[in-house]
Amino acid sequence: MAGFKVNTGNFAGTTVSFTETKVFFEGRTIRLIDLPGTYSISSHDIAEKVARDYLLSGNADVIINVLDASLLSRSLEFTIQILEMNIPMVIGLNMYDEAQRKGIEIDLDGLKNLTGSEAYPIIAVEGSGVHELFEAAIRVADSNFKPVKPVYDRDVEECIAAISRQYPKALRNGLAIDERFLIIRLLEMDEDFEKTVGRLDKAFLEYVIKKRHELAEIHNWPESGVFSSHRHAFVIDLFEKIAKVSRRTGMDLREKIDHFIINPVGGFTAIIGLLFFMFYTSFKFGDLISGLIEPPLDHLGEFVRGMAGGFAGVMISGLYDGLVAGAGIVLPYLVPLLILMAILEDSGLLPRIAFMVDGILHRFGLHGKSVIPLILGYGCSVPAIMAARSLEHERDRIITMLIIPFIPCSARTVIILALAGKYLGGTYTTLIYLGNIMVILAVSFGLSRINVDMAPGIIMDVPPLRRPYLNLVINKAWWRLREFLFFAWPVIAVSSVVLAILSYMGLDRTINAVLSPITSTILNLPDQTGITLFLGIFRKELTLLMLNQSLGTADITMILSNVQILVLVVFTVLYIPCIATIATLWKEGGWKTAFYSILLNTTVAIIVAGGIAQISKLF
Amino acid sequence: MRLLDLKQGDTATIDKINGGRNMRFRMDGFGLRAGKRIRLIMAAPFRGPLLVEDTESGARTMIGRGMAEDIEVSHQEPS
Repeated sequence: MAGFKVNTGNFAGTTVSFTETKVFFEGRTIRLIDLPGTYSISSHDIAEKVARDYLLSGNADVIINVLDASLLSRSLEFTIQILEMNIPMVIGLNMYDEAQRKGIEIDLDGLKNLTGSEAYPIIAVEGSGVHELFEAAIRVADSNFKPVKPVYDRDVEECIAAISRQYPKALRNGLAIDERFLIIRLLEMDEDFEKTVGRLDKAFLEYVIKKRHELAEIHNWPESGVFSSHRHAFVIDLFEKIAKVSRRTGMDLREKIDHFIINPVGGFTAIIGLLFFMFYTSFKFGDLISGLIEPPLDHLGEFVRGMAGGFAGVMISGLYDGLVAGAGIVLPYLVPLLILMAILEDSGLLPRIAFMVDGILHRFGLHGKSVIPLILGYGCSVPAIMAARSLEHERDRIITMLIIPFIPCSARTVIILALAGKYLGGTYTTLIYLGNIMVILAVSFGLSRINVDMAPGIIMDVPPLRRPYLNLVINKAWWRLREFLFFAWPVIAVSSVVLAILSYMGLDRTINAVLSPITSTILNLPDQTGITLFLGIFRKELTLLMLNQSLGTADITMILSNVQILVLVVFTVLYIPCIATIATLWKEGGWKTAFYSILLNTTVAIIVAGGIAQISKLF
Repeated sequence: MRLLDLKQGDTATIDKINGGRNMRFRMDGFGLRAGKRIRLIMAAPFRGPLLVEDTESGARTMIGRGMAEDIEVSHQEPS
């Protein structure tokens, strides 16, 4: 809605916290709160709770309910739940083109008459209809509009009325929640509300439970589902009144592709091919660009270095090295990778990958839903760890969060490509990736043995494949690139200057000496790598970028053997997560998770990289 | 029979969802409830989840095997 969403694939559950944006619309400033995509407002997962709690806080003037028109009957279910909350609403019928493609025709006036909410067809990815939707939202927020509350079957309504007569004053004053909404939530056995109400008035809760029991008996339906079955009947009725579905025959191209992917052979071929294509393309493309811009930058470098001598010269050349390192090494590899990641997310392929690999992941103690955070981890650990929130169970979430820092993010991918790819060749690069996956599976297997609680199964939507829209892909890639340009790049430049000054003053030797037991004894690397690994904790790219400077050569093969390059790459991929990742782990999983992550990563890195170094010594 | 016992391409109606209210709520959020007509599109390899299509809306959902054991269905012959 705000033009861009940080971390949304085309399925619900990727955004789990809400983001607030200020939007200027026709001369007014509007606070737009983007709530997590959910399917219901019960209190079963964090995303649903976040959305519901915000809506209940009474801060919203109007809800812009963007629903998937191509899955109208299901989307209406949620819409009706929001109507029960009694908050003004306008409806955006998103993916209207997809709905039409499926042969669904929607009667907008009918929808308005029956729900009291204006509905607008939109195609969010193209931005069409969004303006009208906003206008309507503002109009509704300004007016004293109340939605039409859904009215259910007579016996349900009688049950609600009976409970309403007993509704205690303490609740009315103590909870700022719509009375009817609360009763409905209690009829649906919402645990959160049962607890709250039970605390305030136990007798009332018991009365509600008695009524709920009666209702279930009359209908011969389980107590937990009796209300929702009525709502469902209401929704079906509503759907039939406002929508016409005409059947189509034959498959179009997208369905043919989908048909190929949803198949064991085709699916795995597609996944492996896709991931290979992704890394290969970004490597080749990056190489090409990097080869084009390196020579002129080198020339410029010589010129810059000649400008000043002494301390000023040290600073200038440090700054120049830092800036060039960002532009010449990171950008060429990062840009194609970010674009390809965005395409992967927007196309709807991720849930399909989750579907295919869930069975394998289960054997290693992971959950199929972890696939999405894990694949996002190849982009950046920070959004990946945040996406781990979509896992309902604490145990799965913690394991996934601890696994993510082992996945080479784009920064570490650049290191792999620029060191292993360049000096060791494609075979070793592929081996590093495969070895990395094995390490990840082993760690995950180990972690899952510590806590053998059986994970509940996966349940997740598989949306239709969609053509990724170029403008959205570019937008998404650009926003993530901005993170690099305006945050990481300056950090790299400053670190480069700091490193230049440190080495001018001889302090880098102290850090190198302190880290020497690890670098030189265990990893069999030159002492000078100590400082670069230390800097890598701040930004992973720094390990690579500071390497030339700290080794004092442009050609690292003069100093490092192939084995040493391999050890360095493996260690860099696995060791302590970067500061941003640690901070995110702390926020999402508490300080213990962050602490374990540091411990786990460092231990595994020392064992694996140290193992390679020590074994190679034998030959 | 259970959802897990369906064969690829089978159409069935959900009779009952066992496994407690949390399970039922979870399924409900995905539109899976008693009376719903579904089609099994595919079971993922390596004992992975089942891909199920709501024949009415065409919505597709993947369901883990553990959960699929708790869903009772009656198989329908294609008409």
